[in-house]
Amino acid sequence: MLLLDYQNVLIESLLKDRFSPDSTPSSIDQVVSDFDNVTFHISTPNSKTQILISIAVKCYPELVKYGADAVLQREYGPYIVAPEQGYDFSVQVDLENLPAEQEEKDDLIRRISLLKRNAMAAPFEQAFDEYTSLAEQASHYTSETAPQGVREGGEVRAIHYRDQEAIYVKASHDRVTVIFSTVFSDETDRIYGKVFLQEFVDARRRAIQNAPQVLFRNDPPLELQGIPGLQSGKDKIGYITFVLFPRHLTPQRRYEVISHIQTFRDYFHYHIKASKAYIHSRMRKRTADFLQILRRARPEAEEKERKTASGRTFRVQA
Amino acid sequence: MATQTPAVVMDNGTGYSKLGFAGNDSPSFVFPTAIATKGPGGGGGSAGSGRPAVGNKPSFLTGGAGPTGHLSAKRGTEDLDFFIGDEALTASAGPGYGLSYPIRHGQIENWDQMERFWSNSIFKYLRVEPEDHYFLLTEPPLNPPENRENTAEIMFESFNCAGLYIAVQAVLALAASWTSSKVQDRSLTGTVIDSGEGVTHVIPVAEGYVIGSSIKSIPIAGRDITYFVQSLLRDRGEPDSSLKTAERIKEEFCYVCPDIVKEFARFDREPEDRFKKYEVKHPNGRSVSVDVGYERFLAPEIFFNPEIYSSDFLTPLPTIVDSVIQSSPIDVRRGLYKNIVLSGGSTLYNQFGRRLQRDIRHLVDARIAASEVRAGNAAKSGGLDVQVITHRRQRHGPWFGGSLLGQTPEFRSYCHTKAEYDEIGPSIVRKFALLGGPGST
Repeated sequence: MLLLDYQNVLIESLLKDRFSPDSTPSSIDQVVSDFDNVTFHISTPNSKTQILISIAVKCYPELVKYGADAVLQREYGPYIVAPEQGYDFSVQVDLENLPAEQEEKDDLIRRISLLKRNAMAAPFEQAFDEYTSLAEQASHYTSETAPQGVREGGEVRAIHYRDQEAIYVKASHDRVTVIFSTVFSDETDRIYGKVFLQEFVDARRRAIQNAPQVLFRNDPPLELQGIPGLQSGKDKIGYITFVLFPRHLTPQRRYEVISHIQTFRDYFHYHIKASKAYIHSRMRKRTADFLQILRRARPEAEEKERKTASGRTFRVQA
Repeated sequence: MATQTPAVVMDNGTGYSKLGFAGNDSPSFVFPTAIATKGPGGGGGSAGSGRPAVGNKPSFLTGGAGPTGHLSAKRGTEDLDFFIGDEALTASAGPGYGLSYPIRHGQIENWDQMERFWSNSIFKYLRVEPEDHYFLLTEPPLNPPENRENTAEIMFESFNCAGLYIAVQAVLALAASWTSSKVQDRSLTGTVIDSGEGVTHVIPVAEGYVIGSSIKSIPIAGRDITYFVQSLLRDRGEPDSSLKTAERIKEEFCYVCPDIVKEFARFDREPEDRFKKYEVKHPNGRSVSVDVGYERFLAPEIFFNPEIYSSDFLTPLPTIVDSVIQSSPIDVRRGLYKNIVLSGGSTLYNQFGRRLQRDIRHLVDARIAASEVRAGNAAKSGGLDVQVITHRRQRHGPWFGGSLLGQTPEFRSYCHTKAEYDEIGPSIVRKFALLGGPGST
């Protein structure tokens, strides 16, 4: 598994199971987690055929500010219900009232299992739209004559999706910049992370020419100037900047780009852990090899004459 | 919304792994503890201490995709090319992948594979950041402390999980029985009968500690019942006697009867509602009908009369339970008789608990009567309370117990945290305070 899935596997498998024609409805009540402190609650509060799926996201107010409502409305329209107590957003599907076609059912399953992705997608979509309009405006000017707003680009959208970490998205007329602030709790992780990020930075230079540009630094990049609450520390925190160029922002690519960039942090941490697992397995193999060498080097048990207390000798039988 | 993230409860058994979040009443995922890796499957058993097989060919001859022994030759991302659970079974049916089971007899044998199995469980299925969650893992009784340390090394050093608690499955199964209305005092003393797919264990637990010397296991469990049903179907010449059909019949129709002879008579008296039919649907759309007869009560009967199935193991389950309790320290025996808890899929048969309770009570009463006679009827015994507890969470008993204990507010204080691990080292997990024991709510 190189890339993480975008959808929640549990919701997907659960709905698939319930949507199949020969399944019997039964009650569900599960609270499950997803990455980035997202909590789902899947339940059947009223009747066994009505499945309510609620999501709680830490940064939901920010997402709403950046247009999450419109995105969710577009994706889930008729299924939206009033948010459950303690959660931010809820959809409800009625098993007795499903789309008839299997394809539509599969599509519904897919969309619901992507609930987290869609909720988090809003700021990106908004930024991408802003880029389009800025690019349109900028095409009327040369770089010198452009008014300040067009040259500088739009505001920075901050998504504080974790306690100490945030994503910043900023649109300009020729690019969209996505900046992750990331905190390493563990020192080993930090070192792995550094090596890993270096690979990202170098990838563009070496092989993949059309990859987005990636920059990594420990202090806040200039794009984030003037944003309150930014930390900078030599080692603890890092800022990873992705520069998305117009070729990444074409309408047919946007969907994939948003999915990929959202899971970046989880992907990053998953691979740090996978690298550790890989190194551990090499260490285990090396230990096993060394042990084998030691076993081979063990001298044959040499025969020794032993004496009893009374001074008589005897030989130990092998 | 929960103020803190729910604990992750993982119960990795020999056959199946149960994964989920504390506070839920059923695991989110139940899938085989299997991993499919590139190259031939190790089988897990041959690799003894869990180290990769030592290659006897230079790596360039095996094309870089040989057994794990050639990992050093791999420069790409081959180590991520694997599947777990049901996907592993599917992948191993195709070419290129070999299937192995990293857990044997309840204990982890191949740590390389287990590490990757966990990594995939956490990131692909549960979708959590281990830094944000506490973990509750289970271990079989008599798990060597070295295995605990290895587990802790992986959980803390690879995954940086926030906190870890390792509990004994039997103790969790006892905790799971607290949901039964028959249990009032929530003690952690009792006898656990854990019958899964491969083997049945009878484990006495006193005050949350397993009495290791008295554990007995019985080589009769779910798989044997399935085979027995299958052989009965074959004897009758049913149109379909595949293992899958036998398994379905076992799960849907079998129950435990109070008395075989009477049950036979009853089948003859009222055939209409005793004999059943089972429709087998083939994938090609055809279906055949299989008669279901005496195997309905005969199959689970092999626990109570093993001689009808096996020729080398002849001790009935009630006798084993009785002897296990008799071999335990005398001061806990009363508690062990009073709280016999069932756990695992093969204890789900209707009336299983009642039959077991009756048979054990017969044994106990007979012994008491005999000793009264020997004492010349000088003293009368007050009798002994035998109680078998059945409850609704039996199937995933240990997991549910873990979920129950993992959601208690004090759970986190019982865990060892990453900081403590960094301070002291792997040996920290040799001891855990007893979760759910005296002093906690």
